[in-house]
Amino acid sequence: MEYFACFWSFCACTAFCLVYNIRGKALVFASLNGALGWFVYLLLSFVKNDIFQFFVATVATAVCSEILARILKKPATEFQIVALLPMVPGNGIFYTMEYCVIGNNAMFIQTGLHTLGIAGALAMGILLVSSLFRISNPPYRSKLP
Amino acid sequence: MNYDQLVNASADAGYLLIANGAEISRAEESMRRIFHAYGMEQGEVFAIPTFISVSLSTPDGRPITAIRRIPSRQVNMDRVDRANDLCRRICRTRPDFNTIRREIRRIESLPAVPFALQVAAFAAVASAFTLFYGGNAADAWVAFFCGASIRPVWCLLDHFHVNQFFIYIAASFVPAVIALVFADWNAYLNYDKIIIGALMNLVPGIAITDFMRDIIAGDMIAGILRFTESLLVAAAIAIGAGVALTATRTLFGV
Repeated sequence: MEYFACFWSFCACTAFCLVYNIRGKALVFASLNGALGWFVYLLLSFVKNDIFQFFVATVATAVCSEILARILKKPATEFQIVALLPMVPGNGIFYTMEYCVIGNNAMFIQTGLHTLGIAGALAMGILLVSSLFRISNPPYRSKLP
Repeated sequence: MNYDQLVNASADAGYLLIANGAEISRAEESMRRIFHAYGMEQGEVFAIPTFISVSLSTPDGRPITAIRRIPSRQVNMDRVDRANDLCRRICRTRPDFNTIRREIRRIESLPAVPFALQVAAFAAVASAFTLFYGGNAADAWVAFFCGASIRPVWCLLDHFHVNQFFIYIAASFVPAVIALVFADWNAYLNYDKIIIGALMNLVPGIAITDFMRDIIAGDMIAGILRFTESLLVAAAIAIGAGVALTATRTLFGV
């Protein structure tokens, strides 16, 4: 029943689309992209390494965003921001802060580093996909005089 | 051709993109493309999240520069989308500058999300994330009120021109206090799930996503600015919720 979280991920992403003023077809696809990210995360739960799971899930959503951006002719960030949100380690930041407040330094360092690791995995996922898609679509630079 | 107007049109288009949350690389590329569309190969463009500068030398060697300061940024993807379409259209059809100015004005005046809908959306985000992180239905109801409190606090402080960092602290403090008061009243609530759900509203999603894309595109300064911004915001959220936790623990002795 843990796959039900994908549905809540979809709902949260839809609400975020309203906050960010994303409309029309993009709203539906961005939300589905958010659900897909968490689905991939759960699908890989057999590896028992959540940083790796987050990395692969980010890569999946980033590839989908780039493809959707080309099909729907909209900026890729529109799909990317929304899909990334369920994976942002909000609970990591909270528990790090809570351990800091109650003075449990060992757990504070451990949770803090783990949260940083997850954030790094998300950044690496975007880096990889964004770089690969730039090969097919190189940036536009002005010619030297 | 009127070069002054070309520089202005390009700077305005860039301003519209950055002020509504587009990546720096997208804005710079759009501005360069506009210059190229009108046959100016030597237009120079530089942008960071708070500043745009565009410069052009006319064929008779006269330099023209325009700068734009971007005091505040918001996220409005609909406007980014329309501004992006406008830039593509400008490059394809090369309309006259009055048309461009009118179009930019029109996009700027499009209504933003109404306040009531924003409050509802924040509340819905909080509820959905509480359930997503494993809270139960009672937690989701409390999170609904916590999420709804964020936007009014934000608007109130923004009205008094309080700085961004303090707004984030206050906007994470208020929902955390509401959640902890409810948790003191009903001990079965998972206060941690409620606070996390409500605070997901404040997570700097745009900064996290854009900083990596900007760094890859070679805009190091823009990327570093966004990275610093996301670290500061994360710290502010943690401070706000931390103060709330400490204060309620001292008061209620939980």
